[in-house]
Amino acid sequence: MSAAVLVASELRKDYPMNGETVHALQGASLAINAGEYVAIVGPSGSGKSTLLQLLGGIDTASGGSVQLAGTRLESLSDRELTRVRLTKLGFIFQRFHLLPVLTAQENVELPMSEAGVRRDERRARASELLSYVGLANRAGHRATQLSGGEMQRVAIARALANKPAVILADEPTGELDAKTGRGILDLFRRLSLDGVTLVVVTHDERLAAEAGRVVHMLDGRIVDDTSRVGSGGQLAGGKV
Amino acid sequence: MNDELRGTGNGEGETPRGSAPVANSGSPVPRSPFPVSSSPFPIPRFLRNLTRHPVRNGLALAGIAVTTAMLLNMVLLAGGMERSFAQLLLGRGYQIRLSPKGTLPFDTEATIPGIGRIRAAIAQDPAVGSVAPLAGSSLYGRRADSLVTLFGYGIDPAHQALYRLERGADLLPGDTTGLLLSEPAAQLLGATIGDTVTLVSRLDPQVVVAGSTRRLVARGVVRWLYDYKGQPSIGTALPVLQDLAGFRAEDRGSAIVVRVNQDEEVEPTTARLRAAFPRLEVNSVADLLVHFRERLVYFRQLSFILGSISLVVTVLLVATLMTITVNERRGEIATLRAIGMSRGRVIRGVMLEGAAMTLIGGALGALLGTATAHYLDQILTSFPGLPAAISFFVPHTASLVVAGLVLTMAGVLAGVYPAWLAARAPIATTLRTEAT
Repeated sequence: MSAAVLVASELRKDYPMNGETVHALQGASLAINAGEYVAIVGPSGSGKSTLLQLLGGIDTASGGSVQLAGTRLESLSDRELTRVRLTKLGFIFQRFHLLPVLTAQENVELPMSEAGVRRDERRARASELLSYVGLANRAGHRATQLSGGEMQRVAIARALANKPAVILADEPTGELDAKTGRGILDLFRRLSLDGVTLVVVTHDERLAAEAGRVVHMLDGRIVDDTSRVGSGGQLAGGKV
Repeated sequence: MNDELRGTGNGEGETPRGSAPVANSGSPVPRSPFPVSSSPFPIPRFLRNLTRHPVRNGLALAGIAVTTAMLLNMVLLAGGMERSFAQLLLGRGYQIRLSPKGTLPFDTEATIPGIGRIRAAIAQDPAVGSVAPLAGSSLYGRRADSLVTLFGYGIDPAHQALYRLERGADLLPGDTTGLLLSEPAAQLLGATIGDTVTLVSRLDPQVVVAGSTRRLVARGVVRWLYDYKGQPSIGTALPVLQDLAGFRAEDRGSAIVVRVNQDEEVEPTTARLRAAFPRLEVNSVADLLVHFRERLVYFRQLSFILGSISLVVTVLLVATLMTITVNERRGEIATLRAIGMSRGRVIRGVMLEGAAMTLIGGALGALLGTATAHYLDQILTSFPGLPAAISFFVPHTASLVVAGLVLTMAGVLAGVYPAWLAARAPIATTLRTEAT
């Protein structure tokens, strides 16, 4: 069994809304091992995205803690947390959020550029990643010239740029039609088979069905946590 | 990066796992028909952002260009006329002027009696290199059977400070039959070089007859330095003009100009002359510039106010546009922050974009400003009573550099608020809002 790379303990998140306190998360605990493919599912408002944002250090918890490779994210300064997100986490969003003025290649290079990777090195890696997601022939196209599915593939390549420990994806197929979503699904499957640790928030049952472990949430709590294949939750045939 | 986080089992030369590193299986990957530019000078991202809304940004750039053109014009105007006047005064190298008490040279019709004696006395001063007596008076020129009004200069051909020869020949010392014409005078008289021109003295107001007449030969066409645009002026040897103007009896002249050998001797010599000739107005070029500056104080104030307004408008324009831009890109900025872009980088990007917009607009404004300055100069220098050689808009390197720096600072300043807005946006909330 692999060691837990990402651990959430008794996470709580409250925020005010119209004069009342909303309890978005009410003590969620979760340990994700290296190489696991975890789907977080649940109805709207169940706290899935909030949990993902806390796991990714892009929001602060009202209580509890998150540890990434032994480092408590709450103890980090904004600058350190930014650096952790840059180098140890990869993010994929529902709306892709590529920079429209950059080409696919440049979008993938962006996090590496921020991390100080040498130019020739980041170019080579970006090309390699675009090939991996099947977009080598679109490297020189601006983001605005790509289809939704292609943009999401570029976003996946961007998330992988700095060789992160964990990829966090929030509704990655939410903006895509069924056929295009299927392609992204296949890509996630391949990522998992290649040992990438994946945490995916989704409404998409097909995507959840691909995951080795499914975490069900309801009203800010984890109500079910099921590993389908093996104790680690990796897909059968995985290389880990 | 922490090796533990990279996954396991990466051997030497093997593509790291956990980094999605294996080649796409299946059919070979086709080569991109749109390869990424290999230029060593790729266009920076903040500049590319300016292409996002070409019409909107184009209009904003046009606005910045107009305000910058105004700023440039005000900078040129603020000190331009003074610099131009100084260049004009020193054009022939004479640094000191003597004129009737309480007047500036050729400002009134007042004259100085005994100008030859004064000249001789000044020439005794060891610091003085040249002394040029001058007389000026209106007179008439005969054209067919009519008279045309001219302005006449009396000069010493050996020490002249009033003109530049454009064509023909100059007057030689002792030439009392020669005449120099300005282009407008030549046209008015219908005279060319070599023609004989009849000059008639001013009418005696008591008997309304001309005092005297002289027939002179046009030697050359000159540009009189202090003439206003289109002024018909002629020049003769000083005694000839004195005869025509009725100055001869008392040896009167309008002014004396003095050239001092060493620049550092100008002020001491001015002081000595002032003491020696208390009934005359003695001014160095520096003194004249002080007088001139006092007369131009409103110009300078107006320039400063309008220049400041144009700067403020530039700042507001850029700040407004950048604030709109940042608000439009909130989701994008939140994503960049989420994937690890530092606040500093976000702030830098926004401020660079604002500065780039200001500088591009500024460059366009410099072209526009140069063109408008040229046009306005033509209008202003055609005002009567102003020497045509004066320019209102004179470039001055130091002023332009300062204006450029101030404009750049204004562009950076304009980006401060939008940059702060971008940097402080909460990542999670923004992403949540964007997703709904």
